[in-house]
Amino acid sequence: MWEQVKQALVASTTRFLTRFANFLPGLVALILALLVSAVLAWILAAIVRRVLASFHFDERLGGWGFSSLAEWSPMKSPTRLISRSVGALVMVSGFLIGIAAFDFDWTYLFVQKMFAYIPDVLAALIVLFVGNVLARFLGRSVLIGAVNLNLQYARFLSVVVKWIVIVLAFAMALEHLRIAPGIVELAFGILFGGIVLTLALAVGLNSRDLIAKSVGRDVEKASSEAVEDPLRHL
Amino acid sequence: MEELTRGTNVEGERPLQSMGPAPEETTSADLVVGVLGESDPNTVAKMCDELRTVPGPLRIAVLHDDGQEGPPPVISETTQGRAFVFLASSLLPKSDFSATGLPSMYETYQSVFAAAEKLQARGCCIMASKLESTTPPWAWRIAQPLFDSQADLVLPHYARRKFEGLLNASILAPMMRALYGKRVNNPMGPDIGVSQRLLQKMLAAKTTGNQLNSLASLTPTALCQNLQIIEVNFGARIYPPTDWSNLSSVLAEVLSPVFLDMERYAPFWQRTRVSLPLPVVGEPFPLDQDSPAMDTRDMVESFQLGNRELQEIWGLVLPPASLFELRKLSRLPVEHFRLPDELWVRIVYDFALAHRLRTISRDHLLRSMTPLYLGWVASYAHDLTLAGAMSPAHRLESLSLAYEAGKSYLVSRWRWPDRFNP
Repeated sequence: MWEQVKQALVASTTRFLTRFANFLPGLVALILALLVSAVLAWILAAIVRRVLASFHFDERLGGWGFSSLAEWSPMKSPTRLISRSVGALVMVSGFLIGIAAFDFDWTYLFVQKMFAYIPDVLAALIVLFVGNVLARFLGRSVLIGAVNLNLQYARFLSVVVKWIVIVLAFAMALEHLRIAPGIVELAFGILFGGIVLTLALAVGLNSRDLIAKSVGRDVEKASSEAVEDPLRHL
Repeated sequence: MEELTRGTNVEGERPLQSMGPAPEETTSADLVVGVLGESDPNTVAKMCDELRTVPGPLRIAVLHDDGQEGPPPVISETTQGRAFVFLASSLLPKSDFSATGLPSMYETYQSVFAAAEKLQARGCCIMASKLESTTPPWAWRIAQPLFDSQADLVLPHYARRKFEGLLNASILAPMMRALYGKRVNNPMGPDIGVSQRLLQKMLAAKTTGNQLNSLASLTPTALCQNLQIIEVNFGARIYPPTDWSNLSSVLAEVLSPVFLDMERYAPFWQRTRVSLPLPVVGEPFPLDQDSPAMDTRDMVESFQLGNRELQEIWGLVLPPASLFELRKLSRLPVEHFRLPDELWVRIVYDFALAHRLRTISRDHLLRSMTPLYLGWVASYAHDLTLAGAMSPAHRLESLSLAYEAGKSYLVSRWRWPDRFNP
């Protein structure tokens, strides 16, 4: 009996050691891949940072109308944001290569799924970025337009427009990521409807005095202008 | 010659004559007169008759978008020793700038220049505004210096009431004076005379991709190239009524080309130090300065609202000292509201700089200036309606001097936008 126990133990140890021996090269490969990718990421990030800095990317980006990107960047520098993103991308690629080095079915499937998911992640990131830029632009447009129309609730209008666009972009990004699409759709419908309803109620009930004042002033102004307005600007 | 009746004049007494000229007669002209805006055919016919009295063998082509099709009719016959006038409306593209605003108007100017170039005209004048009195031969008054004094650009000097042409009075004229060193009263016309030399430069700039604005860039281009500019005293213009809901668009459309020219001609204006008056033709037209009292409450409230809500935008454009002064002003009661000239000048210069640096979207930038502009208008109105207030001319002269005094501030910020930020 002891002999059988001994054999089982030896077999188990052998199996473990064999599996560990099979696992070890993968682990070493993962560590190596991470180390190499870290070095590569650092070099690439430095190159990208230098190239972008050499033609004053931060200043030019403002000129192209993406000045708001600076507010979302580390140290308010879009150059750093891009160089760090490149670095992170290389690190993630290195990690996936390292994982793929394990000769297991699940690692293969994992890597395959991860690669298949990358386009969705990129699309979601682009949707979020564009949505954010658009939200800020539209919010600012509405704010300036409303102030120029002398509307006292200009800020409120601007914030509402901005958040409607952000919520829309966020919902679209989640849709791309295929994260609980049914729930997201439902939640978005409720949230969007809620915002519109809130706006309608605010304008209809809570802000009625404000609206009445603004409209009244506009009517009063229009009637007084009909009499005579001596100002000529152009 | 065959006479065709096109219509009658206002009194219905005299039929307007028209005839088909020989094709070679319409392929060249000495002067091209573009009549833009809403002029009825009788007014144009009257102007043509006035042009016919011009002495000398001049060939004058009149361009007017009157919807007439077919061969261009001749209004007046050739008289020995007098100008020959003919209509060449087909050279003017159909446009409706009353509906589409200033950009379309700029394009129409460009079309008139192109027509003048095609007809190899020695000069071109554009009549774009309605004048209160049309008795004097306006078109010839503005074209004459092109031929007699070899001027390259003839600009109008309108007789104006104190609350008219405020955008020109508050920004365009004094800023041009401070920047380019000539005391131009109406740098953007709109009634102008242009020599062949200048219009060729304007057309050539377009072909080389240098996007000069056909109206706003005329004066800066002429000043920077040392071309001769003459002003002609005109009567009062009939200004279009203020469209308050569209004021920010007007501000953006007018200031954008002006700020672009500032960027284009920066090497020139940074060297200019003092301003000199321009030669003027004709006597000034006296004008009754009585205007009804003005309610500035809405304008001051607009300024206060802007100061409260647009801080995030103004904060990107204006230095802290200016923002602090604006916050102080916004707390003043309406009747005591005054925007000092020095502060206003710094604001305009800072916006010009932000336009150059593209700190934010240029359209947003210029539109966000509207409450500040209204603040200046309110302050100006308060200054002029005070008991014992100075005359509009003196008030605007002091503003112009403030622009000149503030130029060193502009030059410093322009050269070192990051380092010089008081």
